Amino acid sequence: MLKMIDVSKVFRTELVETHALTDFSLTVGEGEFVTITGPSGCGKTTFLNIAGLLETLSSGQYLLDGVDVSTLSDYQRAKLRNQKIGFIFQSFNLMPDLNLFDNIDVPLRYRGMKGAERRERIEQALEAVGLAARKKHVPSQLSGGQQQRVAIARALVGEPRFLLADEPTGNLDSNTAQGVMELLNEINDKGTTIIMVTHDEQLAQRSQRNIHILDGRIANPVLTPLKTPGESTAAMA
Amino acid sequence: MPIYYLRLAALSYKRNPVLSTLMVLAVSIGIGAYMVIFTLNYVMGGDPIPHKSEQLYHVQLDISEAGQDRQAPVQLTYLDATALMESAPAQRQTTTSKFGAILEPGNPELRPFSILGRGASADFFPMFDVPFIYGGPWSGDADDNLEQVVVLSRELNEELFGGQDSVGEQIRLHGTNFTVMGVIDDWNPVPKFYDVNNGPFDSGEELYIPWPLLVSMELSRSGNTNCFQAVEGSGLQAFLNSECVWIQYWAELPTAADRATYQSFIESYAAEQNALGRFQNDLSRNRLYDVEEWLIEEEVLPDETRILSALAAMLLAVCLLNTIGLLLSKFLGKAPEIGVRQALGAHKGSLFVQHVIEAGFIGLLGGLLGLAVASFGLEGIKILLGDDVMMTNWIQLNVPVVIVTIALAIVSTVIAGLYPIWRACNINPAIHLKTQ
Repeated sequence: MLKMIDVSKVFRTELVETHALTDFSLTVGEGEFVTITGPSGCGKTTFLNIAGLLETLSSGQYLLDGVDVSTLSDYQRAKLRNQKIGFIFQSFNLMPDLNLFDNIDVPLRYRGMKGAERRERIEQALEAVGLAARKKHVPSQLSGGQQQRVAIARALVGEPRFLLADEPTGNLDSNTAQGVMELLNEINDKGTTIIMVTHDEQLAQRSQRNIHILDGRIANPVLTPLKTPGESTAAMA
Repeated sequence: MPIYYLRLAALSYKRNPVLSTLMVLAVSIGIGAYMVIFTLNYVMGGDPIPHKSEQLYHVQLDISEAGQDRQAPVQLTYLDATALMESAPAQRQTTTSKFGAILEPGNPELRPFSILGRGASADFFPMFDVPFIYGGPWSGDADDNLEQVVVLSRELNEELFGGQDSVGEQIRLHGTNFTVMGVIDDWNPVPKFYDVNNGPFDSGEELYIPWPLLVSMELSRSGNTNCFQAVEGSGLQAFLNSECVWIQYWAELPTAADRATYQSFIESYAAEQNALGRFQNDLSRNRLYDVEEWLIEEEVLPDETRILSALAAMLLAVCLLNTIGLLLSKFLGKAPEIGVRQALGAHKGSLFVQHVIEAGFIGLLGGLLGLAVASFGLEGIKILLGDDVMMTNWIQLNVPVVIVTIALAIVSTVIAGLYPIWRACNINPAIHLKTQ
């Protein structure tokens, strides 16, 4: 479970102080599919970065699976990130020099996993996204949709509890985006909690719960699930 | 993980070949230039006989007159050398001088030719650990009895006897037959510490004979001769009785007590000579130098090499400063990748190790190319020095220098990379993940 209590994030420079999140409280339960919406600059990505342990918070409390992350060292945060969180980005963020196999291998390397187990997991992940035959290809040889599938395989290969997606369909055409969303729903149906930032209101309406952020605060504080867990696949089909 | 990081370093090189190659070139030029000077210092200033350099002492006796503003002589007169040989308390000691002579090969197909030889006492060989491939040195009795015996260098033995065991064979030198006692293996201490005032970087001599024969056979001296007073009279005996120095003198004194005893002896000898009207300077100017002290005293390492060392170190520093800038550019250019790696579970420690290995990889390539630069530079030095100044065949990269070159290149590049690496490891991943 992911729980934020009165979390604030302030970015300071010599001249400016920007309040990206203010008294932000949110609880995401096991297996939920939550979308985060809001206008540009409202704090969606800051929330996602704090949730993914890529940013520290200025005040408040953040508990990830019961662990207060604000007291963790860089090493402990990295370890937690590696084991419990998967990321999907709008621009895929694959490493251009590495082939698909090696791209998916990265999080497993940091986990210190043995070669044979890594290989088995990578091949399974590639199989799951339908790109097993192209494991020796480099990202530039793939279409946008295929690259996002590789990014999803990389995010899932370590079997994380949480999948954080920052506008994963933002760079894709509608057909490809639909395919990626179907894949995310399948993943969610298998129990992975997904928090997805999106600008697409239609996609947001089809998730179990939508959080709308305005000026760093939750604009729809009544946290009523739009759909119960398990309904999402049927709803989007 | 280190092998994985090494592979990432190679991929990173491929991704940005121009920037990476510039860094390799900067490191190679700095390291190459530095290693040229390092090699010169290493071979010129190294300890030529490290295992016993603190037991071997050059004997210096000051025969200059009081008021003469000149350094004490570096060689001995015949009078003093023979006096020391008779009574000085050393475990081993040797007189030694260079000479030239005509050698008449037994093989009628070879014409007579001139050679450079060395007169030495029997102790010369065990004192200086001269290696033999055949036979061995002559005995002390051969010195005393003026026996016509000879030790050949490997090269001369090759020339005269085709490299075969020539012990017992005869050669004819300066019209006299000599019996071969031994053939020495390759032996060329650099610097040639036992005779630094006759070409410290010259090759060793081609043959060795008992030193007393130089006088009895009136062989032609080949080294420096300096006279502190005019020779009275003419002929060999007048020269031998003169204040002309032409003999190097070394003693082996294994312990501090041996050295103290010997020092006391030469001071007593100087006092005795002073009573006879010689040795008019302070008795402390008659002294012993071990090998290292002697090389420093004689300034075997030219001052120019120290200046060149400083210049080479400055060039290396400039090249490394450039490398810092290039590494900073390269590593900050990798910020998006570093951000992704952090998102996928890399902590700062692992990123630091990854980039240290990447900097080390650049250093390794720079070191390898630096070896080529250094080899090229050393060839240039040989051309500049020329054989007329000194023998230059010893100026070359050897295994220790190669190891030092590679290690220095890696270490200095990693040190140069510390700031860029620190900057790279402390980027905010969130910024780069969104904007990539």
